Amino acid sequence: MKLSPEAKHNLLDPLIGNNPITLQILGICSALAVTTSLKTALLMSMALTLVTAFSGASISAIRNHIPGSIRIIVQMTIIASLVIVVDQLLKAFAYDTAKQLSVFVGLIITNCIVMGRAEAYAMKNPPGLSFLDGIGNGLGYSLILIVVAFFRELFGAGSLMGYQILPLTTEGGWYQSNGMLLLPPSAFFIIGIMIWVIRTYQPEQNEAPDFVIHESHSHSAGESH
Amino acid sequence: MSSSSPSRLRRLLDGAEPHFTQGGKYERFYVLFEMVDTLFYSPPNKTVGGPHVRDALDLKRVMGMVWMCTFPIMFMACFNTGLQANEAMQTLGMTSIDGLRGFFLNGIGYDPSSFFANFFHGMTYFIPIYMTTFIVGGIAEAAFSLIRGHEVNEGFFVTSILYSLTLPPDIPLWMVGAGIIFGIVIGKEVFGGTGKNFLNPALVGRAFLYFAYPASMSGDAVWTAVDGYTGATALGIAAADGMAAVQAQFTWWEAFIGTIPGSIGETSTLAIFIGGGILLATKIASWRIVLGVFFGMMATATLFNLIGSDTNPMFGMPWWWHLVVGGFAFGMLFMATDPVSASMTNTGRFYYGCLIGFMTVLIRVINPAFPEGIMLAILFSNIFAPMIDYVVVQANIRRRTKRIEQGGQA
Amino acid sequence: MIKDKFNEMLALPNDSKQKTIFVALAACLVCSVLVSFAAVALKPMQEANKAFDKKRNILQIAGLMEEGKSVDELFKQIEPRVVNVETGEYVDDVDAATYDQRKASNDPAQNVLISADNDIAGIKRRAKYASVYLVKDGDAVKSYILPIKGYGLWSTLYGFIALEADAKTVVGLGYYEHAETPGLGGEVDNPGWKAKWIGKQVYGPDNQVMIDVVKGAVDPASKTAIYEVDGLSGATLTSVGVENMLHYWLGEQGFTTYLNKVRATGGES
Repeated sequence: MKLSPEAKHNLLDPLIGNNPITLQILGICSALAVTTSLKTALLMSMALTLVTAFSGASISAIRNHIPGSIRIIVQMTIIASLVIVVDQLLKAFAYDTAKQLSVFVGLIITNCIVMGRAEAYAMKNPPGLSFLDGIGNGLGYSLILIVVAFFRELFGAGSLMGYQILPLTTEGGWYQSNGMLLLPPSAFFIIGIMIWVIRTYQPEQNEAPDFVIHESHSHSAGESH
Repeated sequence: MSSSSPSRLRRLLDGAEPHFTQGGKYERFYVLFEMVDTLFYSPPNKTVGGPHVRDALDLKRVMGMVWMCTFPIMFMACFNTGLQANEAMQTLGMTSIDGLRGFFLNGIGYDPSSFFANFFHGMTYFIPIYMTTFIVGGIAEAAFSLIRGHEVNEGFFVTSILYSLTLPPDIPLWMVGAGIIFGIVIGKEVFGGTGKNFLNPALVGRAFLYFAYPASMSGDAVWTAVDGYTGATALGIAAADGMAAVQAQFTWWEAFIGTIPGSIGETSTLAIFIGGGILLATKIASWRIVLGVFFGMMATATLFNLIGSDTNPMFGMPWWWHLVVGGFAFGMLFMATDPVSASMTNTGRFYYGCLIGFMTVLIRVINPAFPEGIMLAILFSNIFAPMIDYVVVQANIRRRTKRIEQGGQA
Repeated sequence: MIKDKFNEMLALPNDSKQKTIFVALAACLVCSVLVSFAAVALKPMQEANKAFDKKRNILQIAGLMEEGKSVDELFKQIEPRVVNVETGEYVDDVDAATYDQRKASNDPAQNVLISADNDIAGIKRRAKYASVYLVKDGDAVKSYILPIKGYGLWSTLYGFIALEADAKTVVGLGYYEHAETPGLGGEVDNPGWKAKWIGKQVYGPDNQVMIDVVKGAVDPASKTAIYEVDGLSGATLTSVGVENMLHYWLGEQGFTTYLNKVRATGGES
């Protein structure tokens, strides 16, 4: 299958250039909560990607028949149902990890990315493109979650996907685990550093400064020694 | 330089300068040249315009002064770290230690009643921590200066010494390095460097270690630099067993002079008062902040004394004990007064200080997880400092507007 | 006929009253069918998962997990029973396999409130009936696995303690749910620390609860060392929480009556 330029754009642009977390700063809450281990982050990413894609496609399919007055409610109903279905599926097929995710799968309903894509894209575009848009944004979210979870699990618990990589001092190894990475605020630091790195390479993502610091010094070498 | 002919050093620096200025061979390294040059001489660039003066003093001299003021603390830090270690060794019946440290102390001995034995033993802990901070932090600082093309700031001298003094003596050196990198990079450089940081970088570094490696930064095994010896800090004892237990172990004067276990530079309230007194006398530290912290602490502690509690012994700690145990005095005089991260308005400074004093006691008394509260209180208040200033300025504008309106009517 | 009606509805202007109601109803209908189908179809699998998870927790804490054997197979040696905590008698009119003690402790009909003086574990209420698990070797009971819960520093810790047939010696202690500080209180999960419990005595000579989580390390030469476990360094309050919940659950308020009975009768009461 050959993708149209727009489909390709929908799929790839949200990865770095228009990432929902690092540029739009959406969905931060769950990114803090579920990234202590790579496994939970992967599962959460999958759940969110599926919900965004299918809610986008189904909302787009009936977009011409949704009355403006109950627009948001209809979107919410569809998204909520999909979230419940995904939650039930996870509890049936990935119980252990789903237990660790606890309420956060349910909270996908309130995730700004899902609602944002439904309202901003799916309401105006055909189902196929909306589906890809959902996948793309889901992947953008996933990318950040996976990187954050990689660092947090590796340096916080010395393991990846539950397998011990760095032997911990508390269990006789050499690696002293970094407890801060297991606390939610550390995800802020990692996301912040990622935004820093991304914007260093893509300066066009920088917002215009709110104010310019007044230049108060002039260099005049060799004058005042 | 008062003499008519420039000194040898000046001539050397002037001779080298063309290589470092624009178009010169080492243009990229101008910041390093500048750093050396202005360490010895006044900076060449002058302020030209705009309403910007917060203090007429040169930043480099201010920072140098703060650094000098920590000397009494460093002195007591070495002495007390050694004293605690030697006393612990005596208790455990140890007569020597292995390794490099033992080699240096060979011949000096480990007698806790000998001033020199204590002082040098303490130095073998303090110097490596300070050196690590200085070298690792200095590299991080210089790297950012090179990339960004701004000057290495003497603020780093202050950050590094204050940071070193807040660490427990037993901390592994790699943690010291990790902490200062975090403090410099996340606490300062991401926001654009000295002057743009809204948090105190030394405390950001310490807070990082505190949350990342709690086992090496709290508890009762880290305060004495001898393996296998546990001795809780006065605050730890107070939180667990109450004031009576603290007084059974230390007198108030011991806590004041600083011969108790604790972070390297926080124990001697006396030394901190000497250094801090100079800072206040030279108006480098704002007396309003110090007064605010002190007042906030005293009021809150007294309030808790009055309320009382059967289950929480910390309620009974009087303010004069809050003053001498833990890092309160050090935080009050050296950390809270950091001009960059504190409030800028005079009224604001007092309220900012009060908030710190209040939060410190609140965390010490109420929070079951953290025996010490001054570090978190200062970081918390750093975040509120701009808002306090905003409120003060707005109130001032309102008051003046009102005065003009009333004047107009009269 | 219905199809015509349907198309007719769709053809209405979006903002008309009928269409609004029609779309709202249709969306609700479709979504509810989807949700209920998923919930009903997946329920058996979820229940099985839940039961499996609980069994595995119990086996792990009792130290009965073996490589290469399935949880269900290993769990065959364990007999779940329900005990009336106050009287110490087994309750037979409740199905032990499905009884949910955690749910019962929040149900006013099935719980008792604990007075503030007695509530050393900080849990406020407990279920009247408790699930206990007997590890059997033929007919003889090898060990007793008892549920415990209590407040640490930040969170309620849920776990089990396993006692030998003498109902005094610890076989294992572990928690399957808590939210204590990683690296400090979170070290309750550390295998090294959990191993320190094995072989300790819970009850003193007069059957009073003697188990004690000490600050720092246990002095092996002391007379009471058999009742003492090292505290978690830097986590005084979690350590105190562990000690308190053991004193509560193994004391007069908890399983003392039951354990006295089983000691007398060898498992059957």
